[in-house]
Amino acid sequence: MLKSPHFLSDTEVGGHVRTRLLTTRLLAALAATALLATACGSDDDAGDTNSLEMWTFKQAHVEPLKAAAAEFKEQTGISVNVTAYTPDDVFKSKLQTAAQSNDLADVFEVHAAGEDFVLGGSGILADFAGEVDEAWHGQFVAGVADAGKVDDARYQRSLKPEAPDAGIETGQLFSVPYTIGTFGVIYANKSMLTAAGLDPANPPKTWAEFIAWLQATHAKDPQNGGLTVGLNSPTTGFNWMLQPLAYAYLGKEGYQALFSSDKATAWGSQNGQKVLDLYDQLTPYWMPGTQTLSIDDADRAFAQGKAAFDLGGTFTLAAIKQGGMDPADVVYFGVPPAEGGASSELGLAPLALTGLSISAQTEKTDAAVTWLKFLTSKEQAAKFAQASLDLPGTELSADTLGPDLGAMTEIFGNADDGAYDPSDVSFFAPAYVDTQAGETLIRMSPLGETDAAATNRELGSIVATSWQG
Amino acid sequence: MAGLTTRRRVREALTGYAFVLPAAALFGLMGVYTVAYGLLLSFARWNGFTKNWLWVGFDNYLDILYRDPALAPLVQDAAVNTVLVMVGVPVLSVAAGLPIALALNRIRFLRTTMRTVFFLPYVTTGIAVFYAWTYVLAPTGSLNAVLGALGLGSLQQPQGFLGNPSTALPTLIAVSAWSSIPVAILLYLAALQSIDGEVLDAARVDGAGNWRVTTAVIWPLLRPTTAAVVLLGLRDALQGFQVFLLMTNGGPGGTTNVLGLQAYKWAFFSDLRPTLGLASALGWVLFVAAVLLASVNLRMLRSRT
Repeated sequence: MLKSPHFLSDTEVGGHVRTRLLTTRLLAALAATALLATACGSDDDAGDTNSLEMWTFKQAHVEPLKAAAAEFKEQTGISVNVTAYTPDDVFKSKLQTAAQSNDLADVFEVHAAGEDFVLGGSGILADFAGEVDEAWHGQFVAGVADAGKVDDARYQRSLKPEAPDAGIETGQLFSVPYTIGTFGVIYANKSMLTAAGLDPANPPKTWAEFIAWLQATHAKDPQNGGLTVGLNSPTTGFNWMLQPLAYAYLGKEGYQALFSSDKATAWGSQNGQKVLDLYDQLTPYWMPGTQTLSIDDADRAFAQGKAAFDLGGTFTLAAIKQGGMDPADVVYFGVPPAEGGASSELGLAPLALTGLSISAQTEKTDAAVTWLKFLTSKEQAAKFAQASLDLPGTELSADTLGPDLGAMTEIFGNADDGAYDPSDVSFFAPAYVDTQAGETLIRMSPLGETDAAATNRELGSIVATSWQG
Repeated sequence: MAGLTTRRRVREALTGYAFVLPAAALFGLMGVYTVAYGLLLSFARWNGFTKNWLWVGFDNYLDILYRDPALAPLVQDAAVNTVLVMVGVPVLSVAAGLPIALALNRIRFLRTTMRTVFFLPYVTTGIAVFYAWTYVLAPTGSLNAVLGALGLGSLQQPQGFLGNPSTALPTLIAVSAWSSIPVAILLYLAALQSIDGEVLDAARVDGAGNWRVTTAVIWPLLRPTTAAVVLLGLRDALQGFQVFLLMTNGGPGGTTNVLGLQAYKWAFFSDLRPTLGLASALGWVLFVAAVLLASVNLRMLRSRT
């Protein structure tokens, strides 16, 4: 029998061919698996100490941050890549999944005084209390400088079963304030006020005057003369209007008691009824359909002249400007106190809205701290404020902030002097859900489905239930 | 020889397993792992971030179904709305889809164009379309304007069709049906074209008019298709919440909240409270309901065909 050219038998040749085929197939399968694995993997530059990755949930902050990053690169040689993940649920999902795959950015802009503690307690954010010296700490606006620091009260609350920030320890610091502001700011269209015979230079000092203003603009133009707020997010009316109104009318103790387990003073009591009667006075004057609008939609509607008043916070000014309205055409004031209440004046204490945080997974802590110090320097904070129309957490003079933002700071009051502090939630039951309270309030105003008495009873039930959790 | 055959079989088996491995691994990761993960999560309390899960057994299920006075009413209200959607969307899909399919099946002139027009809502349905609907339905939207122009001012909604609690849910049902009717038309058209023409001719020879042919011959023959349309509508109504999220977010005042949206809110919009387990438990309840519906539907199909 002749040998094959390769001196192998047919069986051997067949065997080699099959072996090669098998090898080829296995290699192909391995290559496919490798390709899949590569596709699922990360392409980050974790080892490069001259570059940082930063994530934010605020699309409007991306350009100012990129401008700052360009200057930072010039000064330090460290590049910063800024990415926005919006809306909030996408940002949270991104953090959640990236944390599990060790693929987090180095630096984040997060919601302050809440989200930062949850992420810190979960081991996603680093505790960098040791990095914040006196000089850096002193740069921030008084009252918000420690917004990202765990105090004993917060630690005690974190021990309750429903608390979302389990794992935090007293003294830890998970963020420094980047933007600050407050809720309960009412914006009014100067032209519409003038057309209704009102003087924009003398905004209402009392709740009754505010209702009278609404009445006037609404009478002048029933379609476009009302009040708007993004009630599609049900908590806006409750948190931004009802709560400051209740605080001014009942005083701090009376207001906090509304959320207590004591039925004699909580929602459902006479105190709750009085506040809801005041709030119900708004019912005829809402912009038609405001209950269907998101916060951005409502700000846009106001900027387009579809409403005479817009309820929001200090941050709303930027949205109004983005909507195409000149801030000079707007007058703004805090929720005015009702006559006969505990306070005749209502200051609104500033709170940290967003904070800057460092990933617990990063190995570039020094570079991250340098970047945060750079961003919160007075020079960069001033540039950021002018570019974004957001108030920075760094203390700046009114002149530096510019005419629009500078005047905005006049709304602020000091919580120690009795100003309403929206960030103080220490008196809420851990299981209290403000969404349900907000929806209950919407059914009264603007929907008019229930009256103040029924709403008061339902809110009482919600608060009582929250203490059972 | 036997050894060679065995070796060959082993090699072939290995080759086969090697090829199947990536797909199996992917399925294991994306399918079995996530399903098992979701099931386990429904027995835990977790916010998606903390290091440890708190095991609570069946508490999540019991809480959302009846036990928790804060959670159960939310689920019950959402369940009522979901049932209304589950009835409304399939009924509208059949009520509108069948006549349109019958008409499209008979016309000759512009048949293709008309089919394309009626199928447009399906291929264009998406975020942009739902936002467009919100503008149409707004207080100053085109629907109110058209009603006013037609002298039907009493039907106008000053708060918009989505802003009035009594019209918001019916409006969302109509929008959901609008996006599902094209599929119904498509299925009915395919079924109509498969009906033997001789059957229809025989009925006509026996003296049946168009109405009689439609109700006594075509409708019974289309029963499996109707069952499929209804099942698809039920599935969409039970699990879908895109329309509700984008157009009302469950409002105004929670009047258009549905079960899928409630699960989504617990998963992503609870201010980082540990409610992911509740969302998962509600998801599993929905899954069981869907399986029950499917089996009932299958049984009905088998008994009628």
